[in-house]
Amino acid sequence: MSLKEKHSESSSNNKGDQPTVATGAEAGVSRAGNQVNEYSQVSLKSEGEKVLLILPTSGKTEQQTDWSVLWQDLKYRLQGSEHAWQAGTAVHLLAKDRLLDGRQLQTIAETLKEVKLQLKWVCTSRRQTAVAAATAGYSVQQEKMLPAINLEVEQSQQQQLAEPLYLQTTVRSGSEVRHPGTIIIQGDCNPGGIIIAAGDILVWGSLRGIAHAGAMGNREAKIMALRMEPTQLRIADLIARAPESPPSQLMPEVAYITPEGIRIAQTINFAKNNSFLKKFGPW
Amino acid sequence: MSRIIVITSGKGGVGKTSVTANLGMALARLGRKVALVDADFGLRNLDLILGLENRVVYTAIEVIAGECRLEQALVKDKRQAGLVLLPAAQNRNKDAVTPTQMKDLISNLAKNYDYVLVDSPAGIETGFRNAIAAATEALIITTPEVAAVRDADRVVGLLEAHEIKTIRLIINRLRPEMIRQNEMLSMEDILDLLVIPLIGIIPDDERIIVSSNRGEPLVLDSKPSLPGMAFENIAKRLEGKEEVPFLDLMAHNDNLINRIRRLFKG
Ligand SMILES: Nc1ncnc2c1ncn2[C@@H]1O[C@H](COP(=O)(O)OP(=O)(O)OP(=O)(O)O)[C@@H](O)[C@H]1O
Ligand SMILES: [Mg+2]
Repeated sequence: MSLKEKHSESSSNNKGDQPTVATGAEAGVSRAGNQVNEYSQVSLKSEGEKVLLILPTSGKTEQQTDWSVLWQDLKYRLQGSEHAWQAGTAVHLLAKDRLLDGRQLQTIAETLKEVKLQLKWVCTSRRQTAVAAATAGYSVQQEKMLPAINLEVEQSQQQQLAEPLYLQTTVRSGSEVRHPGTIIIQGDCNPGGIIIAAGDILVWGSLRGIAHAGAMGNREAKIMALRMEPTQLRIADLIARAPESPPSQLMPEVAYITPEGIRIAQTINFAKNNSFLKKFGPW
Repeated sequence: MSRIIVITSGKGGVGKTSVTANLGMALARLGRKVALVDADFGLRNLDLILGLENRVVYTAIEVIAGECRLEQALVKDKRQAGLVLLPAAQNRNKDAVTPTQMKDLISNLAKNYDYVLVDSPAGIETGFRNAIAAATEALIITTPEVAAVRDADRVVGLLEAHEIKTIRLIINRLRPEMIRQNEMLSMEDILDLLVIPLIGIIPDDERIIVSSNRGEPLVLDSKPSLPGMAFENIAKRLEGKEEVPFLDLMAHNDNLINRIRRLFKG
């Protein structure tokens, strides 16, 4: 399958086994890096016996992630990872600097309960949130705006990837999945749906929407799909869009960066191809 | 247990109101008590298509405002026993109603009916949120057009987030000759993308327009018609008769019997 290039100056159309896509760096693409960085989506992380529920810091992203968006995100994450935890697992909520009232805490607890998770601890840097949590009967840990959290963000800026996000879902039109690590979707990504990952993107289904791998600048990131029919592919700062006419045959494929731009290969050919590529060294 | 079903689409003009009217009639003809709710505030026309416009006195807004009782606002259908309509307001500010108020109102209404069908407005704004507030099931209407299917996909995502788990699809305005010539999305294309179960296919048929203009839903017609049968089949499948075969709209022969062959195997 070959994708047409976005900028016509550097056109290259290579028919054959591993068709290529020429690409151009786009100013807009690099901005996505900050999006994943800001943790602007809810994240869930297993840590030993417990699950950490990490909310995005409010601060600059306040209007972007208001309460209802946050809650929708949480539900989406939980629905997509239904069998990832044992029933009754305790949850530690890392609310950071986010203001949560009693009702919102209760809503979070109820939402967790639906997937048999139990909210136990609330960790916050805001006094009001701590009071609300204590009133509702949760164990509370109040701390000043943690330098540790800033550290975490800084680390991820240095390409420390979060653990992979595995979701069993259809990424439907209008929804967006972001994660500062690798994203694995068991399901389809429909046109109008967007996946942005700091690491690789693996769609065990049809990729028809937009996928952006290596969004924090990693040019070695890859996008893999059982059926690769994307609206657009982005890897790091490069961008490629789909051809006008879809390919007749759809095979599992891998998209990756070569010196000529984003290239797509059939998965079965990728391994040998990839070792060959190493000869080019860094670019 | 009564069932509250929202009929929605995202895109406008794809047939939500036509489906609500005909499906409501078909369910009532099966002996069910059915309440139709026009949730398209400001652009109401369910009453018009049902031919009940001249009997509307109060609307949902007056009920919510406490200016009349719920029973007073319900318009009984004179042709079909068991069918009532709760009309939408024409002129009041549609943003005056909240999802909570709609939810309470519809839950109240549901106590006395087997089915409550809610005709949702187009879009995904306040009106849509009001329409889905009480629903436990949804019927998604789409036409075989890329934009309609895209909007349907968006709406399915929103319904899932709203924890409406039973979501089924109706494909409206299918034109077999266009599919045959590859000029329209096929049913397989649509189902492949939306991955929700199909509950009905309705052919594109000008009799639907004619009957709407007359205020006489097609299923009331004594002469059987293909679209009329399509609505009746959807009603039966809603009743749990999942085995009702799909109409074979692709059959070349115009003979009705020929068309009632299984479209999907299994
Ligand atoms: N199967 C069909 N064949 C022919 N015409 C149809 C069919 N279904 C609907 N129509 C016509 O399409 C128009 C729009 O239908 P309808 O009002 O039911 O759509 P709607 O989704 O409720 O629109 P809105 O979003 O404006 O509320 C009407 O004129 C109707 O008669
Ligand atoms: Mg309508």
